[in-house]
Amino acid sequence: MGSLAVRSAVLLLLLLALPLALGEYWAFQLGLFFLYAIAALGVALCWGQAGFLPLGQALFVGLAAYLSGAALIQWGEAWWVFLLLPFAALAAGALAFLLGLIIFRGRSESGPYFAIITLAISLLAFQVANSWNEVTGGYNGMKGIPGLPGLEGFSDVYYLAAVALACAVALCGWLVQAPLGTLWRAIALNERRVAYFGYDTAMLKAIAFGLSGVLAGIAGALYAPQQGLVTPELVGFALSADLVIWVAVGGRKRVLGPVLGVVLVGILSAELRERTYYWDLIVAAGFVFVVLYASGGIGALLAPLERLLPGRRKALEPLRAPAPKAPRTAVTLAIEGVSAAAGEVRILDRLSLAIARPGIYCLIGPNGAGKTSTFNMLTGELRAQAGEVRLDGDTLSKPTPYRLARRGVGRKFQIPSVFGELSIDENLRIALWSGRTSLLDWLRPAPRRWDTPVLAALRGRYPFLDDGARLASALSHGERQVLELSMALVTEPRLLLLDEPCAGLSGEETAQVMAVIRWARDTLGLSVVIIEHDMALVKQLAEHVFVLHQGRLLAEGDVAAIRSDPRVHEVYVGAAE
Amino acid sequence: MDPLLVTQALNVLYEVVTLAVIVLGLAIVFGLLGVMNLAHGEFIALGAYVAYVCQSLGLPYLAAVPAAIAACALLALPVERFLIRPLYDRPFDTLLATWGLSLFMRKAIEIGFGGGYKSLKIPVSDSVLVLGAPFPAYRVLLMALCAVLIAALLLWYRRSVAGARVKAMVGNRELAQAVGIRTDRLARDTFVVGLCFAGLAGVMVAPLVSVQPYMGLDYVLRSFFVLVVGGLGSPLGLLSGAAAIGGVESAMSALVDRTAGYSTVLLIAIFFLWRRPHGIFGRS
Amino acid sequence: MSARAFEFEDVTGGYGGSVVVRGLTGAVAAGEALCVLGRNGVGKSTLLRLLHGFLPLARGSVRFAGRDLAGLDPARRTALGVSFAPQERIVFDDLTVRENLMLMRPGRPLAALAPYFARFPRLAERLGQHAGTLSGGERKLLSLVRVLAEDRPVALLDEPAEGVQSESVRQMAALIGERKAAGAAFVIVEQNLELVEALADRYLILDQGRTVQAGDRSTLRRAELVAHLRV
Repeated sequence: MGSLAVRSAVLLLLLLALPLALGEYWAFQLGLFFLYAIAALGVALCWGQAGFLPLGQALFVGLAAYLSGAALIQWGEAWWVFLLLPFAALAAGALAFLLGLIIFRGRSESGPYFAIITLAISLLAFQVANSWNEVTGGYNGMKGIPGLPGLEGFSDVYYLAAVALACAVALCGWLVQAPLGTLWRAIALNERRVAYFGYDTAMLKAIAFGLSGVLAGIAGALYAPQQGLVTPELVGFALSADLVIWVAVGGRKRVLGPVLGVVLVGILSAELRERTYYWDLIVAAGFVFVVLYASGGIGALLAPLERLLPGRRKALEPLRAPAPKAPRTAVTLAIEGVSAAAGEVRILDRLSLAIARPGIYCLIGPNGAGKTSTFNMLTGELRAQAGEVRLDGDTLSKPTPYRLARRGVGRKFQIPSVFGELSIDENLRIALWSGRTSLLDWLRPAPRRWDTPVLAALRGRYPFLDDGARLASALSHGERQVLELSMALVTEPRLLLLDEPCAGLSGEETAQVMAVIRWARDTLGLSVVIIEHDMALVKQLAEHVFVLHQGRLLAEGDVAAIRSDPRVHEVYVGAAE
Repeated sequence: MDPLLVTQALNVLYEVVTLAVIVLGLAIVFGLLGVMNLAHGEFIALGAYVAYVCQSLGLPYLAAVPAAIAACALLALPVERFLIRPLYDRPFDTLLATWGLSLFMRKAIEIGFGGGYKSLKIPVSDSVLVLGAPFPAYRVLLMALCAVLIAALLLWYRRSVAGARVKAMVGNRELAQAVGIRTDRLARDTFVVGLCFAGLAGVMVAPLVSVQPYMGLDYVLRSFFVLVVGGLGSPLGLLSGAAAIGGVESAMSALVDRTAGYSTVLLIAIFFLWRRPHGIFGRS
Repeated sequence: MSARAFEFEDVTGGYGGSVVVRGLTGAVAAGEALCVLGRNGVGKSTLLRLLHGFLPLARGSVRFAGRDLAGLDPARRTALGVSFAPQERIVFDDLTVRENLMLMRPGRPLAALAPYFARFPRLAERLGQHAGTLSGGERKLLSLVRVLAEDRPVALLDEPAEGVQSESVRQMAALIGERKAAGAAFVIVEQNLELVEALADRYLILDQGRTVQAGDRSTLRRAELVAHLRV
């Protein structure tokens, strides 16, 4: 974190020195754009980190501006009015957080629909601001807002804006590096997978949206005294749209990107728009170009420069991680008479099976027997219409991946779904933090150094995991399978659901994975349920086999019993005969 | 019947039917192909401006139809090739790229024609008596044309071989390829047709609305709302969405004021986007 | 040695970077059928998808009438003369049975399909129904008739008899046999031993993505097939 403080100080000094070089006129212009840059940082936080795009961010800028303007008009003479400005920003942030929570809990993915919802909400706000004459001054706006007491002239306001910007940049820099930033980036890559690790992704996204609201609110709160006037245009579509363009062109993934975007595009626009008609065409074309070919924006070009800045990260000393919060006892699972259908098709038909002891169980059966559907039913993706599932004796009602993970149930999918654009270390940390951290932990740097005996043992078995900075997408298919299996084991689950863990692996890799599964059973005392088609694997690993057929349990027992069971023979070969 | 009531009912009907025609192009592009085209409104504007140019050149109004279709088709081809096709599996980026396109087109229109309002002469300027109430003849003509157009399109989609192939491609792309349908060509052609319909809608409404560079914004937002509320990919969805949005807006505008009308539409849209994004008739 | 209508060599590939099938080789001449057998999950469907261009080949080649199909998308391969029937999502649910059959040959009169309806009267009864409302077995029938009616030199079929009643399976075998006699070549993924024994001129048995046994009709032994299919 030392390097962050250094970089922020450098930025602040640069900003403070600018007016000396450029003069009073520019001080006023730049001051306004610094405020826009603060709002743009919020947009970048949502879009570049957490992967959802707010298209109506000006709503929060305008809200805070109206609140701050009203406060200044009422109590402008008092010295303590300074304290009200943060409240205006926090009010905007609280609204953003609430909206985010409501929207994200109501829908499972962000995508384009969230963008349009925020757009529609901001348009609605514009209508309100435009017609509510008594409160907002309607079409003509809120006029005659005094400046902040004690600040004289354009320079003072500029310095305040510069300090606010530097603080905002520092805050964003910290968030990006904190565990919260890693979690956001994982959500942007594969939200469902993050939920499977026991994270409340809706809450995480709402936090991002709320923080972006605070940043927009800071901009709005300072806008009112700076401009002296707040009109409904501030809430309107034009500023929201500009913010998105500035962030896109400047670069949404790097912290300084939005600042660059605002400064380059925003200021250039203000100057050049008068001079040439074609400027707006150029900006629009540039925006399309960035969307198509250069999604990193200008900021991506600066990436090599960042390495030159002071404060290289030292090797981190590992810290012992706290124990997982989930109960540590051996799990018992009882599925009784569960039926599930999709339309006309019976997927599970009064399925009953039970696991009472730790061990390795295999789930086999022909196509369409309901093997993956059983897993889906356990983790809530497939809704059961009848029957009961009991985990540790408690009935499981309305399961979600998140809730199951908190109770120590882990799942690994057939196609490896590691977070490709994150490093191996970040992937493992996300798994490690699950079930062991709370909100405050996500803001501290310490959890990045956590280690556990299980993780150390896995690193010992698979040396490629040590190369922590390597991106997961650079791994081979087999290595990705192993990484994902390691992530599942690092959460120290009590019940692990594996869907064809050796799919696509070579013979040697398969043997290694089998060894790890056995080791995990011995060390962690967990129950593993493996869906497999490879009978050689089943014969070597399984202590107990469940055979599914047409959504029902056909037979169970050890491997020898299954092989000699005529009903099983009938299903695998008999239908063919 | 009370002529005032008839007039009001006709007004509402007019709003709904013209809304349906305006949405038609986006129903094809977004509802069928799943492409979020934020430049839809600008293609409507393009059609309107082509009509203006034709009228300024002294041509009969009907000449604007092939001219607008040609203009939209010419523009749609490179847009499909360079903006839409590379972004087929990135719906988010499609949204942004088409939005950038709409910014570009708006500004280009502003540069070419200036920022002010253009007014077109109404091709048919008398008024007729409908159920005892006087109503502008062009509006009646428009409603009739829109109804015919929509009905013809629906019939074509249901009955024709090409319509069946589009349905096949949209429902099961891989199988469509397996039976020999060149899906990328079919998708391209469908996209171009959708944009041509937008241009056609522009020609139809141009004499009755204010033609200015920013006219498209309103249309594209309303079109999205209609599809979200009514349901994607379903002709019934288009009609019910247009009826819901158009009906509610004109009713609220008549009862209270325009702001209330627009605000109610926004609230309905927000609700559906949040809770039922597949709309009334769409599949979830 | 009759000319090879369809052949593939050292076919290797899978999904997204993983290798599901390795080194698969096979060929079929006009009028012959090659059956691909194996338990679920061994890669049979993946092989067929690789053969028709739905997945890229990591290694190997696929040839139709001597021509290398590399780089051609599935629609082009179909146009050249290779029909394809997938294992899942096998008909157009939103189209009627009639539309499913006439989609690519709208000019052909329905009467031309009479021989097929004679064998499967249930299909004729349901001409006006949406294919999505048909039962699983009926959908398989529709899929097969669609492919056979395409009248192409080669057809790749993925488990045509899965979930189909034995009486209809016999009809299917008879139909395919007739088409074979007329010169068509087939590559059929199938686990139904009755169909395999009726139609296979050659066979491949797969396990975990590799060929464990290959041969022609003369070496086809039911006991061995069973041994490879069972647990």
